Amino acid sequence: MIDRPYFIAFLLGFITILGCSENKKENREQALWKFNKEIPIDSISPIGIVAQGDFLWLSDVDNNRVVKIDLDGKILEEYSGFQRPMHIAIQDSKIYIPEYTSDTLSILENGTITTYPLKEIPDAIAGVAVEGSKVAIADFYNHRVILQQGESITIIGKEGHNDGELYYPTDVAFSNNLIYVADAYNDRVQVFDLDGKYVKMIGWNEGIKVATGIKVTETQVIVVDFEGNRVLVYDKNGRLIQTLDDNFNQPTDVEVKDNKMYILNYSTGVISFYENDEKKD
Amino acid sequence: MKKTRIRYSNNRERKNIFKHTVLLVLTFFLFFAMSSVNAQTDAQTDTQTDAHEFSYAKIEVNGLACPFCAYGLEKKLKEIDGVESVEIDVEEGLAFLSMNSNQKVTREDLEKIVTNAGFTPGAIDFSDKTFNPKDDR
Repeated sequence: MIDRPYFIAFLLGFITILGCSENKKENREQALWKFNKEIPIDSISPIGIVAQGDFLWLSDVDNNRVVKIDLDGKILEEYSGFQRPMHIAIQDSKIYIPEYTSDTLSILENGTITTYPLKEIPDAIAGVAVEGSKVAIADFYNHRVILQQGESITIIGKEGHNDGELYYPTDVAFSNNLIYVADAYNDRVQVFDLDGKYVKMIGWNEGIKVATGIKVTETQVIVVDFEGNRVLVYDKNGRLIQTLDDNFNQPTDVEVKDNKMYILNYSTGVISFYENDEKKD
Repeated sequence: MKKTRIRYSNNRERKNIFKHTVLLVLTFFLFFAMSSVNAQTDAQTDTQTDAHEFSYAKIEVNGLACPFCAYGLEKKLKEIDGVESVEIDVEEGLAFLSMNSNQKVTREDLEKIVTNAGFTPGAIDFSDKTFNPKDDR
């Protein structure tokens, strides 16, 4: 006959062990990115990347151009004359290109460049996100994100280091009616709703040194640690599930498409290519 | 008698013609000399204007660690009235400017801009000759 206290202790221990096993299993399911190879992109100083079919678009900030490359790194198309193009975005066949020096947002589509009419004047657009009619830009020197939807403007964040405050944001992403912000010089990611209300913070505990780029998939939040030479993979709850650190050199941005991850390295002009065979995003 | 009068008349005319010719030549040379001096003065002035049409500055900047930083500083410096061009050397932490000397850009102007851009300005050097970003460290 087992005494009741010992039985309860055994039951609690069993439940605890069972819970840890489930977490480890979930971690194993999520931590699936494996380094494949480096793709050289000679003569390109990359800041932003988006995928389009079997091709990649890159912003080349040092050379004031946007280029289309194949998956071997060969330049197929080139568009010059931009004024320091930074983190870019794609929707359908349109490439959205923020011009850091001129405070403008350009759209490249089928070889034609137009200007997106911004309702609020920024000071150095570091990144852009587009979803339907919503456009969000990272307004670097104003320490805020401008969300524009038609004629409606929502200002998100202000200069500072507290919850909901930003310090030189460099990238933005939409997911499930939330806006994820690479809060670069606060070394973290912050999440807001579409009304600009602060929701949560990700990455404050991992010693990120300049959170420069961000990519949000259905299940993961991927953060580029520029000076830490790492890429951190979180689940949507903000739990770290994988750290990638394979020979990066000032990584600036990340793109994920069809179980493939592309990470830009600004200093070396190389794309670090990862694959995920077990989880489709 | 008539011959004598005629000879007198010819001599006077010759003297007048000679006098007028000398005056004309002297006047010509005077104008020529004056125009030469003016041309030389203008040339000197033009040369002086060309030499001082642009002035140059080199700024040591602490904290240039990323392209957002470097190109942000470039943006702020370009917004100064009188700044014609900006080149940033991220590795060496230097900014090279060319400026129109008709619009005075002061050391204080540059320090303020660098500080407002989020960086700490170091030494600022001015010159009438261009700094060579590749050689000047």
